[in-house]
Amino acid sequence: MSSSDNHGPFSPISSFGRSMSRLRKEKVHSLESNHKSTTRDLELESFQKQVTVRFEDLSRVSDDELLSVDWMRKLLDAFICCHEEFRAILLNNKEQVSNSPLDRSISEFFERLVKALDICNASSDGIEKIRVWLKHLDIVLCALSSNQRALSEGQVLRARKALMDLALTMLDEKDCKSVFPQRNRSFGRHNTSKDHRRHFAKHSRSHSWSVSRPWSAAKQLHSIANNLAPPRESEIVATSGLAIPIYTMNSVLLFVLWTLVAAIPCQDRGLNIQLSVPKQFSWSTPVTLLHERIKKRERRSSNGLLKEINEVESCVRHVTDLVDTVQFPLTDEQKVEVEQKVKELSLVFGALRDGLNPLERQVREVFHKIMSCRAEGL
Amino acid sequence: MSENGEEKLLAVARHIAKTLGHNNTMSDDIFQILSNFDGRFSRENLSEKGAEADSRACAALDHSLKTLDRRISNYVSSDRPIWADAADSAAFLDAVDELVAAVAEWNHLASDKAVAACLVRAEDMLQHAMFRLEDEFRSLMERGGESFGLTRDPRHGESAENLPFDSEDDDDDEEARNGDDEQIPVALPVTDFDIIIDALPAGTINDLHEIAKRMVAGGFGKECSHVYSSCRREFLEESISRLGLQKLSIEEVHKMTWPDLEDEIEKWIKASNVALKILFPSERRLCDRVFFGFASAADFSFMEVCRGSAIQLLNFADAVAIGSRSPERLFRILDVFETLRDLIPEFDALFSDQFSVSLRNEAVTIWKRLGEAIRGIFMELENLIRRDPAKMAVPGGGLHPITRYVMNYLRAACRSRQSLEQVFEDYGLKDYPKLDDRLPNSSSLSVQMDWIMELLESNLEAKSKIYKDPALCYVFLMNNGRYIVQKTKDSELGTLLGDDWIRKHAAKVRQFHVHYQRSSWNKVLGILKLDSNGSLPPNGLAKAMKEKLKSFNAAFEEICRDQSSWFVFDEQLREEIRISLEKILLPAYGNFIARFQGVPELGKHADKYIKFGTEDIQSRLNDLFQGSSGSTGSRK
Repeated sequence: MSSSDNHGPFSPISSFGRSMSRLRKEKVHSLESNHKSTTRDLELESFQKQVTVRFEDLSRVSDDELLSVDWMRKLLDAFICCHEEFRAILLNNKEQVSNSPLDRSISEFFERLVKALDICNASSDGIEKIRVWLKHLDIVLCALSSNQRALSEGQVLRARKALMDLALTMLDEKDCKSVFPQRNRSFGRHNTSKDHRRHFAKHSRSHSWSVSRPWSAAKQLHSIANNLAPPRESEIVATSGLAIPIYTMNSVLLFVLWTLVAAIPCQDRGLNIQLSVPKQFSWSTPVTLLHERIKKRERRSSNGLLKEINEVESCVRHVTDLVDTVQFPLTDEQKVEVEQKVKELSLVFGALRDGLNPLERQVREVFHKIMSCRAEGL
Repeated sequence: MSENGEEKLLAVARHIAKTLGHNNTMSDDIFQILSNFDGRFSRENLSEKGAEADSRACAALDHSLKTLDRRISNYVSSDRPIWADAADSAAFLDAVDELVAAVAEWNHLASDKAVAACLVRAEDMLQHAMFRLEDEFRSLMERGGESFGLTRDPRHGESAENLPFDSEDDDDDEEARNGDDEQIPVALPVTDFDIIIDALPAGTINDLHEIAKRMVAGGFGKECSHVYSSCRREFLEESISRLGLQKLSIEEVHKMTWPDLEDEIEKWIKASNVALKILFPSERRLCDRVFFGFASAADFSFMEVCRGSAIQLLNFADAVAIGSRSPERLFRILDVFETLRDLIPEFDALFSDQFSVSLRNEAVTIWKRLGEAIRGIFMELENLIRRDPAKMAVPGGGLHPITRYVMNYLRAACRSRQSLEQVFEDYGLKDYPKLDDRLPNSSSLSVQMDWIMELLESNLEAKSKIYKDPALCYVFLMNNGRYIVQKTKDSELGTLLGDDWIRKHAAKVRQFHVHYQRSSWNKVLGILKLDSNGSLPPNGLAKAMKEKLKSFNAAFEEICRDQSSWFVFDEQLREEIRISLEKILLPAYGNFIARFQGVPELGKHADKYIKFGTEDIQSRLNDLFQGSSGSTGSRK
């Protein structure tokens, strides 16, 4: 969404509160039964409150715990709950939702859900990619932590090899190809005359099983953010306030998916989207704050900002440095250092490994929830 | 080695005694016990002097390590693949085995400094041997894969004979034609799924198994599994591509035009069958042979190989399940539903271990979701019928396109009756009204069909109201009712709706016939009615009769003119209508004419007034319902 949408000379939402109260007054005089409209108002208010409470809670996280597996699970949990409540609102207002002017924004929302499904799938593939890293790490740990026995040169060599494999897997695919074009190719390696085989292998290999080669998480996020503008006052009135939860849910969806892409490896990651929610929405502050905090952490060619990933990465860097520099025979000091680093690595390794399963399950749950909502909307 | 063995034994005993004895007295006691037990464990042999023997044992170890090192490093540093020569590979494996045995044998003496130093050397040698094994394993995997259909090597041709893929020659031809690197050869259709591919030559599989055994024993199981699965995964991925299937995101599937998606579904069905019935089982077999004796490594490697391709296949079905629900998609989605259903036993068999059971569960979930999609399509069909506007009347009261569409649609759909019954089984029927008067044993599907027919009929009734002429309205209902009954009879749809339903609807058509006849011909018949009272004066009678005949002529003319432009699509129905009209009209007309001719004043001039003879009437009736003004519904 472009910033001009929100910082124009007249911010349509500045009178948000006023328009809600006007809306209420109008309803009193309208033919619509008082009871029904009051129920709806309560429903809409409770939804705003739920979103606000959830995200305020999420934003209270310490810097250390931000983007940890636990926090991510809490975020996905918040999404699932908000989404459930939103679904209930849609069901309770079926008539209005299926008619103009809301039908258009609802169908846009459903289009976004389809993109969300792909991002969930790509994230599941990303989690699978992390599992590959763990496989290499497992070898590193196995080589370096041979209990009792003294560390041998061969074991260090084995660890170094596994660390190199790990580094290759962690590198972006294209970099990987240019550095080691023939690594792990089963086709064409011994048959240079058939160059197309290698091309083929290159062509068919991608990070993901669930999305095509040119698919890009960054582009998907962009197109989800596209046309996502806060409702104007007239729209709010014309839709009896329903435009507000729709905008809210769209924003929550965008933020959650963006965070997912930020945290977990994903095909063609990119976090460069604008997320500017007018302050009149009570959940604006925590969401904007979180967005800023996460954005600051992004580095070039990052594999994902998940806390556990970063811990593993930094540990891996230490161990790699150590393994690359040690000379045999090891001094006692070095022995202690290796032991210590390996212990650290095995701790962060365990944390990442143990976090993956529940995280993956929850990504799948989000996928299934979106799937069934999408099916209802058809 | 026997001398060597004794040295070792003594070293062990010495070691035990030292470890167990916390002080010299205790050690002494233990030495005593040992020497009583076996003469060889004499105090002399085991005492401090024995340390000499200890170093002698160590020297033996050192010696055998040196020999092994020569044997192993020779191979490890060689540029040629060891497995190019059977004798080389056997010798290398023997050396590795001996090394592993030596390490195992001496491992418990690792606390001895000299032994520990030897063990570190042995460990290093082992690592290098393992690295080499890993490389050999990879290269065997790759070369084996190439011998299989990829590079046409006549020596390995036999294993590629019953492959579902096109031959390399075609592939090369294609390449020669357009030189396009991106061209992905597409597989020929497969009809026989009862084949298992030997993806690698039997000899290679044996070699791989021998290497895998050593690598697992040497603690390199993870590396081995990783090399194995990355090679096979790539092979599998290429196989799936060769079946014409591409990776698609849900959104891409969603945005495809329907004809493109139909093509893709076709390819998916073939690819899924080949994958689940040939490719995956072949991978399973290969995995079990290479990792024979290591069940967990086999399960894990198999999942690593197949997971991605399985997800790719399932993801497409998932994308189809949430696509548009327009009724024309029913048949292809039923195909996907049935394909996945029929493959569930394969999923069960292949993906049942701890690593892959989630794939099997996903398959079932997606299959159910496809069922939901099919129910959604029927709901869409209902909406389509309900909302079909009664704007334009079909000229001549003929068959309405919606009748033809719905009936043919349902007939075609009911050819997949079994699947549809599965889809509607256990599904909440509460959405449908009037459940109470239905037979308790009627299936959910027949309730569904009944409901759709009801919607269709009420829609047609609403449409019949457009006709201003009530007779035409009945002709319309007759036509459409007749078509419905005809399409229902002798079809699965009829079986579902039941004989009672058909009888009831045939009766309804007859009812429409009666109504039609009454509303359009009663007036004419009324004209022909003869007053029995002869109260009229003779002159008056002639005049009245002349009037009657005149109005009959006019009315008959008008009806025939109107109704010849009406249309009855079914010849038999047309015939029935005509016969029944003849039955009521001809006798009445005959009577009237006889009477007419009997009036004395008219007698000789009677023929002047009689416009229609009996045959004329018949022939005019014959011309009715030919739809001369329009061609609507000219086909059956």
